[in-house]
Amino acid sequence: MMGELIARNLLHRPLRTLIGVMAVAVEVALVVLIVGLTSGLLTETAKRIEGIGADIMLQPPAASVFLGFSGSPMPIKIGERLSEIKYVQSVAPVLLQFNSTGGVDVIYGIDPDSFRTVSGGFVFIEGHDMEGPDDLLVDDWAAKAKHIKVGDTYKLLNHDWHVAAIIEHGKGARLFVPLDTLQDLVGARDKASIFLIKCTRPEHTEDVMEEIRHTLPGYTVRPLKDFLSLMTSTNIPGLQAFINAMIALAVCIGLLVIFLTMYTTVIERTRDIGVLKSLGADSSFIIRALLSESAALCVLGIFAGVGLSYAVRAAFLAGFPTLSILITPGWILRAAGIALIGAVFGASYPAWLASRKDAVEALSYD
Amino acid sequence: MGIAATITAPAEGPFFQGKKSVEPILKTENLWKLYRAGKVDVPALRGVNFAVQPGESVAVMGPSGCGKSSLLYVIGGLAQASRGKVFVDGNDLTSLSDAARTRLRRHKIGFVFQRFNLLPTLTAKGNIAIAQFIHGDGFDPHRFDVVTQLLGLAGRMHHKPSELSGGEQQRVAIARAIINEPKILLADEPTGNLDSKNSEVVLQMLRQLNKDLGQTIVMITHNPEATTYFDRVVHMRDGIIVDGVPAD
Repeated sequence: MMGELIARNLLHRPLRTLIGVMAVAVEVALVVLIVGLTSGLLTETAKRIEGIGADIMLQPPAASVFLGFSGSPMPIKIGERLSEIKYVQSVAPVLLQFNSTGGVDVIYGIDPDSFRTVSGGFVFIEGHDMEGPDDLLVDDWAAKAKHIKVGDTYKLLNHDWHVAAIIEHGKGARLFVPLDTLQDLVGARDKASIFLIKCTRPEHTEDVMEEIRHTLPGYTVRPLKDFLSLMTSTNIPGLQAFINAMIALAVCIGLLVIFLTMYTTVIERTRDIGVLKSLGADSSFIIRALLSESAALCVLGIFAGVGLSYAVRAAFLAGFPTLSILITPGWILRAAGIALIGAVFGASYPAWLASRKDAVEALSYD
Repeated sequence: MGIAATITAPAEGPFFQGKKSVEPILKTENLWKLYRAGKVDVPALRGVNFAVQPGESVAVMGPSGCGKSSLLYVIGGLAQASRGKVFVDGNDLTSLSDAARTRLRRHKIGFVFQRFNLLPTLTAKGNIAIAQFIHGDGFDPHRFDVVTQLLGLAGRMHHKPSELSGGEQQRVAIARAIINEPKILLADEPTGNLDSKNSEVVLQMLRQLNKDLGQTIVMITHNPEATTYFDRVVHMRDGIIVDGVPAD
């Protein structure tokens, strides 16, 4: 009976119900998408770095795990010292350059031969490897997003590049240019941002890292297999606070709309509340009925919110193929829980108000 | 077996036939009800002494503002008395907490209002069933069928109040009020919003409930003709009962 009462009440004012459902849906979608976008980008970046195929990455002292944030203060000659370490098979210097023209990218300046040795080489979808100083390799996601084709001239860092190849994604960056050319362009002759190191066998990784720490004290040495665990929002200053603020904002939107919806419901149903009291309904019945209605509204909103999240993700990915939005069951459940708590909290005061109404006054309400 | 015979009579005795020795099912002693208007207490009831026997039907008449509705709300446990005593089936309402009065109302009182007061979102069936749900005994299909047939509502159960005529809505309200077999049915001008034809139907049904089932009824009315359906008429003026005579 309670279920029928709730269902019919929700259907009685379909527009108001729809607005309430959409508010919760937006709340859920905001939480799921903000977290999904953040974790998606971080995870995808980490996987790309892991996908390079090297075993170790050397960075300057106190360098960030987010490579685009690092400069290029290391002399390239460090590579020679690294090559001399036991169990090191090959070393590849990479110069990183942050680019915000036509999108946000980290460009890798590489020496094609050493990078190939460390990473096992690119998978070419179309075109050929770097041959000239202005050759640009673009991964398939970036090519799709930026509508780049092999043979095109592409302007980057105020320089015209020749698109030599479209490569399969997953090798660190989306854009690769010759190391020497990039060093000249950014004024970093004989400098490298990172060194990628391939060991003779993976089980020698720890030994090599230990030796590097001994040889180059203070430098940052990371095993690439750990990158995924290091790429978290808590490692970016302010990002976790931003995510929390956005979640709080989403919760506030849902809570306020639910509050308003249930408050107007209680006002509109003042006489009905009086009738229920005349039938012998006690305060707990009135509160239960309104909180259950709010929860039902919220559950509909959660389903709509999950659908909205996937729809928005599909729309984003169609427009921005390089984006990665990771929607996980864990965060769907968390967003649902947050929305449900918010809905019950938002409906609490109107429900309490309803339970306190004087039956005689309620029955004479017009 | 007739319809009436299938329903347990709610009152504790057979149909009341002037057996004044029976303990009253409803009794008030020096009942006062004061309403606060600004800084002044305005009396709506000023020492009402009133008794209703089990199975009796009583019409309460009087001009607007004389305290009829206040009396109904206080004896129905919807409003708290300011002074005096109210006994319903032996329970002193004035000594009960709000929660206890709610429980007593749930089990012993049925209300019918002038404006029907059906829940607009529910069907006729839902409006009756919710009273059973609140009562706590769950849906009783047998009792439900008997009551709806008695009130001529069997074919209208799946309609919402907005799809029913005024007379039908009031019959649904009566069905809702008696579905849990209350000791007392309190009706606040139940024909006030009905035309004469539907008024007569509703009054006939109230009389049938009283005569056939022994349902105790207290009804407020402005309509002198309506009182002819009742055993006794009580007149109120300025918050007190001025007389109480058997109807012709």
